[in-house]
Amino acid sequence: MELTGAEIIKAAAMIGAGICMGFGAIGPGIGEGFAAGKACEGVAREPENANLITRTMLIGQAVSESTGIYSLVIALLMLFVIK
Amino acid sequence: MSNKKKVFLVIGIIFTVEFIISLFGEYDMSQIAAPFAKIHTVFGVKIPFNGINISTVLNTWLIMAVVIAGSYFFTRRLTPIPGRLQAIAETYVSAFDTLCTEVLGKKRGRKFLPFVATLFIFVLLSNWVGVIPSFWHVVDGVFPHWLAIEEPTRDLNTTLGFGIMCFFVAHISGIYVRGFKGYVAEYFVTMPYDKGFNGGNIGKFIFNMFMGLLNIVGEIGKTISHSFRLFGNILGGAIIMVVICNLIRFIVLPVFLNGFFGLFVGAVQAFVFTMLALVYVSVMVNE
Repeated sequence: MELTGAEIIKAAAMIGAGICMGFGAIGPGIGEGFAAGKACEGVAREPENANLITRTMLIGQAVSESTGIYSLVIALLMLFVIK
Repeated sequence: MSNKKKVFLVIGIIFTVEFIISLFGEYDMSQIAAPFAKIHTVFGVKIPFNGINISTVLNTWLIMAVVIAGSYFFTRRLTPIPGRLQAIAETYVSAFDTLCTEVLGKKRGRKFLPFVATLFIFVLLSNWVGVIPSFWHVVDGVFPHWLAIEEPTRDLNTTLGFGIMCFFVAHISGIYVRGFKGYVAEYFVTMPYDKGFNGGNIGKFIFNMFMGLLNIVGEIGKTISHSFRLFGNILGGAIIMVVICNLIRFIVLPVFLNGFFGLFVGAVQAFVFTMLALVYVSVMVNE
């Protein structure tokens, strides 16, 4: 079986998408877990501020999530755009 | 039957219909790559910029119609003692009023309340509309594919439009509050200058210009990450749903997947999008 150039490019794009998503998910996972843990501590210390803390936590998590979203977009580009 | 039970009944019926419909067909995996039907010509006239995503436009109009009709019917007969619809509308508005006045202060918060509240309801409905089952989505050849109900926020054009809108709202209100000079100084005067012309000022000028470039790139990056976040979350959820649905042959799990990725993630992302828009405005406006 002979491999053509296009097939090799497609395979490389698939592998690249997997690696991209795998490494890209590490940072946001750690960051969001850290934020959630700190928010838990905050709620345990001051239960009356639970609403404000939850809201702030969600915003912070959304911001730290953006690197993961970038890697998702890159992975999608590699999967679907590279022919 | 209590109201709570009715709500659960409606959600249950939607999920059941979705489950039954999903039994008949099978998502085409290759459809993920090109989910948005495009039209390139209208009455023989070619559309510039590579055509229109007709399905996104139609779904956006659907949600606009729902929002406009809702705001008409919810505030039709306003009374001092609110009825059910009026109570819903009042709860919604007062919740966002509290939010805006907390972030922006009493006077300015009221000015940005319509913008923020409208943005939230629109993005929320856009994210939730994907839960509605549309059988022409699955059964091929019955209806044209562009009639399918799918989230407009799954298209980058919609979210990028929202992001650019938030950018302009924030920056124009920044210019309005600080004046043009103060607005430019915000970016290009990181280190304040001394009086008179000397060597230190030249060094500061070079440093300030460099920092100004970084600030501009940061502003552009803010807008891009703002819009890509919503897009990536919704599209990623949709792709995960399709992949898992194909793996398990549509048995029971799609209901919960729709509940999580459609309703929960949609609500959280709509809230985050709105809060970030509010925060960007408050960064520009508050001293």
